[in-house]
Amino acid sequence: MAGRGKLIAVIGDEDTCTGFLLGGIGELNKNRKPNFLVVEKETSIAEIEETFKSFLTRNDIGIILINQFIAEMIRHAIDQHMDSIPAVLEIPSKEHPYDASKDSILRRAKGMFSAEDFR
Amino acid sequence: MGPTEKKASVLLDKKLLVFMDQLELLEEKREKLNSLIEQGWFFMSKARYSMGNKQVSALQYGNEMEPLVRVNTRRLESGEAAFQTDRNTQTTPEEKPLAEKLVEDIGPKDTEGLRRRTQAKKVLTTEEGGRSATETELLRESDDMKPPPSSKLEHNPQQNPLRWFGVLVPQTLKQAQVSFRQVIELSAEVAALQSAVLATRKQLQQQMMEKNGPQTEGQ
Repeated sequence: MAGRGKLIAVIGDEDTCTGFLLGGIGELNKNRKPNFLVVEKETSIAEIEETFKSFLTRNDIGIILINQFIAEMIRHAIDQHMDSIPAVLEIPSKEHPYDASKDSILRRAKGMFSAEDFR
Repeated sequence: MGPTEKKASVLLDKKLLVFMDQLELLEEKREKLNSLIEQGWFFMSKARYSMGNKQVSALQYGNEMEPLVRVNTRRLESGEAAFQTDRNTQTTPEEKPLAEKLVEDIGPKDTEGLRRRTQAKKVLTTEEGGRSATETELLRESDDMKPPPSSKLEHNPQQNPLRWFGVLVPQTLKQAQVSFRQVIELSAEVAALQSAVLATRKQLQQQMMEKNGPQTEGQ
């Protein structure tokens, strides 16, 4: 039963990744490809975007957790993802508290109440 | 306003209330999720304080990892997705009873195949000289049927990630692990709720278009 479930992937700073790996989500597959990315100062936006897109295409991933400040860097890629699986969850980081107004999902939901909808 | 339009408005209002409830629940769960993550970081910082700054970092990650938790996903007819975590508790050595763990820790690890106790059986048969040959045969058979000693724990990739940070880790690191386990459970719930919010929004938009469609076309 456990074999059929999907993975939870993380893109985050060191503490976020360490915490979630401690929780038991970490996996290194046969190709030694991890389901997490530790974003450091020297990590480029292109690398983050590439990893995010590779997680989206992997069909063994069910949820992608991403620090909100990192999500801000690749907002266009997150906004493009409309499918429900894998779900993208924006989480806070140590230096950047969670801001609901920046969350892709909540912004989409907020779009519901535009003047256009109430004509 | 005709009766069909009135009915459509009532349905739309009901859907909107469901949507609002879902948003409220999502906000509530989000708040809980964020506070649990913060709690996890706090415990991790405490552990770092007692273990040393470099002792709780990405450098300690294991070179082999097997997920201890997976998420079962399912697409529902309404368009939303259901997420449910599935924690694999059977294979974690940490969860095994203490007595079993002790045997595994002190037992032979490198010479598993060589420990055939034929010598000991001979001694046993000579001591109990009165025992018949069939009895000794049975004894040997029953010994052979015993399961082999457990495999090496060190090479088990499904070990508790706490072990990456040492054998005797502080209690605070264990507390951090508990917090993050709860976060993982909650994140599946939040993901399901997010999907439900988006599905309801889509339905709401469709209903609005159905209701306003003829009017906008006429304008």
